[in-house]
Amino acid sequence: MKFDHLQILKSGSWVSAFAGAALLGASAAAVSQDFDWKQQNGSSVNALLVSHQFVEALRPLVPEFEEMTGITVNLDVLAEQAANEKLLADLSSRAGTVDVFMTSPLNNWQYATANWLEPLDEFIDNPALTSPDYDVGDFFQGVLNSNRWTRVPMQGIGEGPLWALPINSESYLLAYRPSVFQELGLEVPETYDELLAIADKLDTGSAEFGLITRFDKFWDLPYLTFGTMLQSYGVEMIDADGNLQICSDASVQATDDFVTLIKTASPEGAGAFTWYEALQGFASGQYALSLNEADLFAPVYQDPEQSEVSDDVGYAPTPLGPDGTRKAGAWIWSMSINAASKNKDAAWLFLSWVTSKDTMIAMNLNGNMNPVRASAWESPDVVAMVNSWGETPGQYSDVTATMAEVAAVRFPPHPELTRMLDRWAQAVQEVYFNGTDARTALCEAQDDIGKMFN
Amino acid sequence: MSARTTYLLLFLPALAMLALALYPFVQGVLTAFSDRKLYYDSSEFIGFRNFIDLFADDEFRDSIFRTLAFTAGVIFVQIPLGLGIALLLLGQSWFRPILRSTLVLPLLIPPVVAGLMWKTMMQPQSGILNWLLSNVGIPPQTWLSHVDTALISVILIDTWVFTPFAALILLAGLQSIPPELDEAARVDGAGALLKFRAIQLPWIVPFIVLVALFRVTDSLKSFELFYATTRGGPLNATRTLHIMAYEEAFRWSSVGKAMAAVFVLWLMSYFISMFLMSKWQRRSGVHNENG
Repeated sequence: MKFDHLQILKSGSWVSAFAGAALLGASAAAVSQDFDWKQQNGSSVNALLVSHQFVEALRPLVPEFEEMTGITVNLDVLAEQAANEKLLADLSSRAGTVDVFMTSPLNNWQYATANWLEPLDEFIDNPALTSPDYDVGDFFQGVLNSNRWTRVPMQGIGEGPLWALPINSESYLLAYRPSVFQELGLEVPETYDELLAIADKLDTGSAEFGLITRFDKFWDLPYLTFGTMLQSYGVEMIDADGNLQICSDASVQATDDFVTLIKTASPEGAGAFTWYEALQGFASGQYALSLNEADLFAPVYQDPEQSEVSDDVGYAPTPLGPDGTRKAGAWIWSMSINAASKNKDAAWLFLSWVTSKDTMIAMNLNGNMNPVRASAWESPDVVAMVNSWGETPGQYSDVTATMAEVAAVRFPPHPELTRMLDRWAQAVQEVYFNGTDARTALCEAQDDIGKMFN
Repeated sequence: MSARTTYLLLFLPALAMLALALYPFVQGVLTAFSDRKLYYDSSEFIGFRNFIDLFADDEFRDSIFRTLAFTAGVIFVQIPLGLGIALLLLGQSWFRPILRSTLVLPLLIPPVVAGLMWKTMMQPQSGILNWLLSNVGIPPQTWLSHVDTALISVILIDTWVFTPFAALILLAGLQSIPPELDEAARVDGAGALLKFRAIQLPWIVPFIVLVALFRVTDSLKSFELFYATTRGGPLNATRTLHIMAYEEAFRWSSVGKAMAAVFVLWLMSYFISMFLMSKWQRRSGVHNENG
């Protein structure tokens, strides 16, 4: 079992944008008036989407597209799990009812294996189908290429056909309540050791509870949020020699520390928190700190209509691991075209419009974070909005820039990966709920996961 | 119309219905003996491998146990409770028709909605249940969010939704007791307890078996409430056979294994319901002879 390690999100691709350099934003080659947006006039596109801020940002813009193209767009918006099920049923039956859908590299490793996805390169390269001002070079190439895969298990991410286009990107950070930290005379922790040292004090002030983070039994735990902690402790699922590291010393240490943090600073019930509870919990003002949760929750935290902490929220990079390392997970919501779609050209027109510069900026301003195009980060409106977030001006931008340098997908592309990570999450929950020794629980999970590669 | 035409007209739709029912079933059983994954086009016949793998897995045996524990919990809570409610609703009084019509309200709410509603109420920090308990000095409960209390909490929600069903059937049973039996008991000076033990309970035994039959088969297959409240968690505390099969198919695309788990569930459901059916037929047979 050999895994060619590949860091997907090359730090340069995110950081240069934050520095304001137009390195990636090659200027548009021509004006869009020359392009025939009406070529699929009268057709319709069915889009299956996951309930997400992206959809709320997209919905008001869709009539604009319908008017420009004469294409009718039917948005089918479902909760994440329900959307996945419906998609799986449609893709596997090759019914082609869904033309275009929200997905991610992790899901696409399975869908691409099954030949359910339409490769997008040919559309992009076809001037009859792609507006000349589309400018694919404007995407952060690390983010864009995370959707490329050769379809050879365990290798080849970032290479091969492009299976999807990114619509936003997510990494992780600390969100904290400045007033609570000030009241308690505490500094925002820079390391996990510091966090462990103050964990039992976080709920002694005006915050009802100490910290919140998602902690369910599903793959997002080791892949994203707790995954960010694991990676900072030096744990990757598979090391450079191709060996599983799920029950390494560092993994055992990270798991013990994580469970200690939850037991010390989170309320009863924390072992069943999904990302939704984590988002709502911190926005409700009950918690002092949100640990390693999604940076793109910030638009909700900052919105006085949705949040009790809109004027009392600060952001900090995720803590450093025991040897001073900081690494983080990454999640890239993307959109793909169903290979069985009967309206692929119309679906592509819709997808290319959704991911065009202007639409992306309009959606970024309406809560779809974080931008995946350099031009968005150069937009004065986006910059002004983002700079207003945090305890001090520019805090959110600085923190996400720091996190972008270390955010990456550090997992092997494999169609069974979600099952493997679900098993890993179960082991962490066994430590929390059953008091199972972390090494025992993790080594059993590692044995089970080893068998799933066959 | 000749008798032959009539038979033909009946036979064809009957055949079509049988085929429609049998085709998916046979297809499902065949899939249970294959290594079918949604994301591979081809699959192979692997004999009993899926079943052997499942029964070798502690988690599968635990999920069978959980499914049976849930079903037993449902039956042992809902039948006595339903019977109690039915007894309260028996007889003539101005408020009883109102109670009877409000009783069915939970049955009209889709289980998914009921599940989400109760999940909100059982939220340990912000849910109304813990707030109510705190007002009478009872410490907050973990409800759905802890391995020790999650299954019991789902049984409680199921009880709220389905006890009215038990109560309605049992009320119909109690109302079918011939008035002369009641009259005789009254003349003999039998108290309420004796009347219940000697007349009402024996009379409604077939109704109890009927409720058990419906609730057992429904509970073994129960899915919506689990899906809406815990999705099998926390850890695996509420991972019943149906939830397990769902995860195999829709989280991990492992359709062969999912169908094997569903097939085991079908066998359990079939044999338990056959057993209850035989009891019910025997008991209702006694009724018919007496009646």
